[in-house]
Amino acid sequence: MRANLDLSSKLALVFLLWVCAFTLSWTFQFVLCLLLVIARFVLPAFRPISQRSAAAFSKFILYSISVAVLVVCLNALFIKSGSMIATLLGFSFYEDGLLFGLRTASRLILLSFSILMFFISTSLPVLIGYLQNKGLPPYLVLMLLLTLHFLDHLPSRIHQIFLAQQARGAPVDAGVFSRTKALLSILSPLVLSSIVESIERGTALELRGFLSKPSPERQPEQVETRVNPLTVCLYFISIVIIAYSIYRWLNI
Amino acid sequence: MAQHLTIKDLSLQYSASDPKALSSLSLEVEAGSCCAIIGPTGAGKSSLLHCLAGTMRRHHPESVASGQIQIGETLFNGLPNHILFPIAGLVLQDPYVQISGVRDTVFEEVLFTLENLGMVPQDPRKTIMSLLERLGIDHLADRKPTSLSGGETQRVALAAILIAQPPILLLDEPTTALDSNAQDKLRLILRSLRGRTTVLLTDTQIDFALSIADQILLLDNGTIIFRGDPRTLLSQIHNFSSTLPIESWLQAQSFLSSHEKLSRHRPMIAKALSLK
Amino acid sequence: MPKPIRQRIADEMTGAALPFVAFCIALNLTAGQVTAALKIPLYLDSIGTILVAVLVGPWSAIICGTAANLLAAAFGNPSMIFFIPVVIVIGAFTGFLARKGWFRKWYLVVIGGILQGVLAALVSAPISAYVFGGVMMAGTDFLVLYFRSVGNTLLDSVIFQGLASDPADKVVSYLIVFFLTKNLPQRLLSRLRGATNVR
Repeated sequence: MRANLDLSSKLALVFLLWVCAFTLSWTFQFVLCLLLVIARFVLPAFRPISQRSAAAFSKFILYSISVAVLVVCLNALFIKSGSMIATLLGFSFYEDGLLFGLRTASRLILLSFSILMFFISTSLPVLIGYLQNKGLPPYLVLMLLLTLHFLDHLPSRIHQIFLAQQARGAPVDAGVFSRTKALLSILSPLVLSSIVESIERGTALELRGFLSKPSPERQPEQVETRVNPLTVCLYFISIVIIAYSIYRWLNI
Repeated sequence: MAQHLTIKDLSLQYSASDPKALSSLSLEVEAGSCCAIIGPTGAGKSSLLHCLAGTMRRHHPESVASGQIQIGETLFNGLPNHILFPIAGLVLQDPYVQISGVRDTVFEEVLFTLENLGMVPQDPRKTIMSLLERLGIDHLADRKPTSLSGGETQRVALAAILIAQPPILLLDEPTTALDSNAQDKLRLILRSLRGRTTVLLTDTQIDFALSIADQILLLDNGTIIFRGDPRTLLSQIHNFSSTLPIESWLQAQSFLSSHEKLSRHRPMIAKALSLK
Repeated sequence: MPKPIRQRIADEMTGAALPFVAFCIALNLTAGQVTAALKIPLYLDSIGTILVAVLVGPWSAIICGTAANLLAAAFGNPSMIFFIPVVIVIGAFTGFLARKGWFRKWYLVVIGGILQGVLAALVSAPISAYVFGGVMMAGTDFLVLYFRSVGNTLLDSVIFQGLASDPADKVVSYLIVFFLTKNLPQRLLSRLRGATNVR
């Protein structure tokens, strides 16, 4: 059986990376982060599904570099224990804080990268379809898909209401309290219209027989009965790492 | 196959303390025919359709109703307790909310109905494309449903209901969001359903109803004030000037008739009012 | 016999509730646009969850908050996944308060907001501390660092920071939802399960 990186393998990989984020040393974690960045460009399974995903990834790399620097510096500055390792412009950096900062930064970035890599290379409808095959109830599937539909239209609706309220004199440029009142004048028609639309949409779904019948018995597809060896392998490695970490912790 | 629809003495109050939305309403619609219910806003037209579709009791459990509804051989005392689709299919006034928003193409949108009902045939493509062709929207099969015009969306919403072949089709003010071309197309579609589906539609304007219906009911404050065929209504139209915008309609007619430049619109008016 | 959770969720998410929950998930993700346009220092990233908790029920609110955090992670903010336990608590506790009628009077809303804020701070503290080392890339990080520099443990520092900011944030969110739902027409409210929570 040929192993490939399907959704279940990707989820297993994310789990493995999370285990690494809490068990391995910070140097290994930074190496893993680097490998993930390389994988994004090299492995087809991790290629972004859209330009927006690619842009989100690039933005996140820059963001994570600044996070790493900030976390390391701030912790090295404020946690004044251990030996002083450097002084810069009158500010002293301490060893314990530096190590803590490095551990925190590496964990934060590895955890975030693992999730981001999963989502930039997996389209949401495909993920929702996968969850549906794994037993997610149909009304939750519909809810998620409807959310994506609303996410497309809500920003323009908010903008329209904002302009309409501004045109009728809502204090959008006044002091904080006035602007908070203006917030209500924007949210109120938005929520009211959404309830009206929800009632109509709910009725329309019922009128098309949604949930009128229990879900049919799902015949497992041929491919789902096969276990992807890569998925098994990844989970096995995760379990080994967890077991080893527990062993080390018990023996300290 | 179309079914006969009978309503006997149907009365409805949204709650015990509310005035009657429908008052001892009786109606018979022959199988395969088209009945139009016209009247001003608040007359009870939509309430009647929701009673027939089964949504009234479901969404207003505190409502008080009496009378009988019979669809084919099935008799309901008072209101049905559940949604009657696919026996009675209701197309709502706003076609945009009737599009689920969770399917990427018109084809999948129509298929959604069959999936819900567990009625997906061996060859869904053939069944659905045949219906889309009848409705004149087969060229839109691979289009995103949310990118269509009002008229196209209306026809997709109609397809999504007709795919289940309901014996009774209920249309709530179907012409509201449509321009005259789209109304023409809808008129042709509804005429093609004659004999196959019993159609009940509501409208606030008289024009569309006159051109399509076998039977017209005029509803005001929950009561039927006229029942008959279109010709009879036209001959008595002045009696209903307080209920229908007859005066403004007649004024528009006479204005168009008298104005030289606009006289070419007379054939359009005649066509809109043409009786089959 | 108590109903299984799956059945309770299914019972809540019927009719108008299902599209409304979907709308509120989207609102959680886009409400920041409104506050940014008005230059108000609020996030309102739980406003949809609180609305659902009040107008539909606690289980739907939990689903709403969880889905919003998952989608936020999918759209480029991966750290949101780790705060799912916090939104579960927000949804459940707000739904509980709403069912007890706490959203009928403004002063109960304020007290409820404070309690919610304290609860949210206590639940999010271990996550902030042990997953993120107390660093959330927000202005409040300096507060955490200050508390640490005066000798508190990481967890204590994060708790103190949370207690300083979360109650105020939750009180404002609760009050916004209170004013939004106060004047909703009864005929609309009756189509959502939580109509009696606000009247």
